[in-house]
Amino acid sequence: MASVELASISKSFGAVDVIRDLSLSVEDGSFCALLGPSGCGKSTLLRMIAGLERVSGGSVRIGSRDVTHAEPKSRGVAMVFQSYALYPHLTVAQNIAFSLSLAGRPRAEQRAAAERVARLLQLDHLLDRRPAELSGGQRQRVAIGRALVREPQVFLFDEPLSNLDALLRVQMRIELAKLHNEIGTTMIYVTHDQVEAMTLADRIVVLDRGRIQQVGSPLELYNHPANRFVAGFIGSPGMNFVPVDSEGRIPGGGRLPAVPPGATELGIRPEHLRLTGPGEGHLDARATVVEHLGNTSFVYLDSAAGQMIVEADAGYRIVPGDTVGLAFDPARIHAFDDKGLAIG
Amino acid sequence: MTALSAGHPTRRIDLAGVLLTLLTLIAAAIWFLPIYWALVTSLRFDADTVREFSPWPSNPTLQGYIFGITNSNLPVWYLNSTITSVAITVIAVLVSACAGYAISQLRFPGRRLLWWIILASFMIPVPALIVNHFIIIAGVGLLNTHLGIILPMLITPVTVIVYKQFFDSLPREYREAAVMDGASEFQLLFRLFLPMNWGVTTAMAIITFIGAWNSFLWPFLAANNERMMTVTVGIATVQDAFGVAYGRILAGAVLASLPVALAYLLFQRRVTQAIALSTGIKG
Repeated sequence: MASVELASISKSFGAVDVIRDLSLSVEDGSFCALLGPSGCGKSTLLRMIAGLERVSGGSVRIGSRDVTHAEPKSRGVAMVFQSYALYPHLTVAQNIAFSLSLAGRPRAEQRAAAERVARLLQLDHLLDRRPAELSGGQRQRVAIGRALVREPQVFLFDEPLSNLDALLRVQMRIELAKLHNEIGTTMIYVTHDQVEAMTLADRIVVLDRGRIQQVGSPLELYNHPANRFVAGFIGSPGMNFVPVDSEGRIPGGGRLPAVPPGATELGIRPEHLRLTGPGEGHLDARATVVEHLGNTSFVYLDSAAGQMIVEADAGYRIVPGDTVGLAFDPARIHAFDDKGLAIG
Repeated sequence: MTALSAGHPTRRIDLAGVLLTLLTLIAAAIWFLPIYWALVTSLRFDADTVREFSPWPSNPTLQGYIFGITNSNLPVWYLNSTITSVAITVIAVLVSACAGYAISQLRFPGRRLLWWIILASFMIPVPALIVNHFIIIAGVGLLNTHLGIILPMLITPVTVIVYKQFFDSLPREYREAAVMDGASEFQLLFRLFLPMNWGVTTAMAIITFIGAWNSFLWPFLAANNERMMTVTVGIATVQDAFGVAYGRILAGAVLASLPVALAYLLFQRRVTQAIALSTGIKG
């Protein structure tokens, strides 16, 4: 196990700056998710930690060692790729033990290591199969096994669940969480799926256009987003945003209490809006789409302040075309200034 | 659908398909006729070869084959052809794989220039270089040696191009995963990239072997000592020695082409793949 320290890291491809002066500290034994939209630089950052991309500036430390210019194999890290990158001509056992084979370890030792890791990942009955004969979930486990066998100080995951179907993704998420609890090794996990980040990580780094927007625990990011980008990116469905004037009025609606000075935009999550009768809330809106999920319902509405989403009780009776009132929970309103930064 | 529901399934005759099959059969028969005629003639007595015009010999004989094996250097030519063809195949495929890998996977100054040189060399016909080859090989005293025959025939840009394209087509993650596992460039090539698809190497080896075995012009210039000739060159000298002894000449020709024919029959699928790979590039 080891901590990872990135100090003033930058990365440019020609004239394009992908990462700009980024510093980050990942604690020893933690599960850190790098979260952001496509093209935000999260995979590039992971690849720089792995040594697969050279840094344009700054330094990378793993544990007590400066590995900025070290070869990938000597960094003490192992990586699981989105495509798994399993070698198709090798069996599961040979795939898992490939690093040991390259290092010239005896065959018996390779087999023993492969069997040990396979037991941990419930792959022991598949050791002599080839990747083409495995399911998506099994392939994913082999890829993790290949990383595990090297006993790295840090695990790097590059969107490892993206190629799995929804059900398998949930299963693998649980298995990854169990694995982390079991071995306790530092894990850095890249994803664009905020549900994966929220459920797996104890620390999330939200990135946008090569810059860190916020670092914190999942609940910190959800309840106290630092800016409009984080507020909109975390949470599904996303946060509602409405413009507000200096007196706390929203377009087509009433005046909201306790709006901090300097706020130009307010944000409120779908579960913090309440449906009322027309004229009884802070804003009237017309329902356009209603999604019934069984345990809850999402109502999409058009209002003078823009499109809104409300999470309503599963039994709430509303059909598209109905006009309703929207009541804001004043304690749950997030205020943002004209630069998009959170106020208060 | 209508025919099925009426209970009378109809079989439509594909006229275009039948016509195409007939044309293909005729073309194949035209292509095969000289080969068949050579086989039949090789089984005739020399005196019968210009007298008989029947599709099979009236007095079949192995005289031509026995003469070729016992009264010429055919076994030595066979050995020379085997040594040179195997050496050319092994070295050319190995060097091409390394070159293709380097150009595809490594980043070094002059990489693009090297690639253009290889592409350009592909466009120069070998006969255009043959005088230069002769002068160089004669200059270093390698005429009438196996090495002298082998060296100029190692220039196989098509094989380099096929390998480069194959390595280009492999997902980057394989390389990166192996690099993380601690693989060196040699391990990447010989333990990962080549074993991932031996089909490419097999196809390239077969087509290189066939080309080397069938080559005539360079071995003809490089070896004038009868003991150093390859089988294709040696057969030509038999023709000179025996004039119009067609039975013997064609028996020799059959013997000369036997390994290539066998290689083709055994590895038919791979040969087709190799031709597809290389013609894909030429196109």
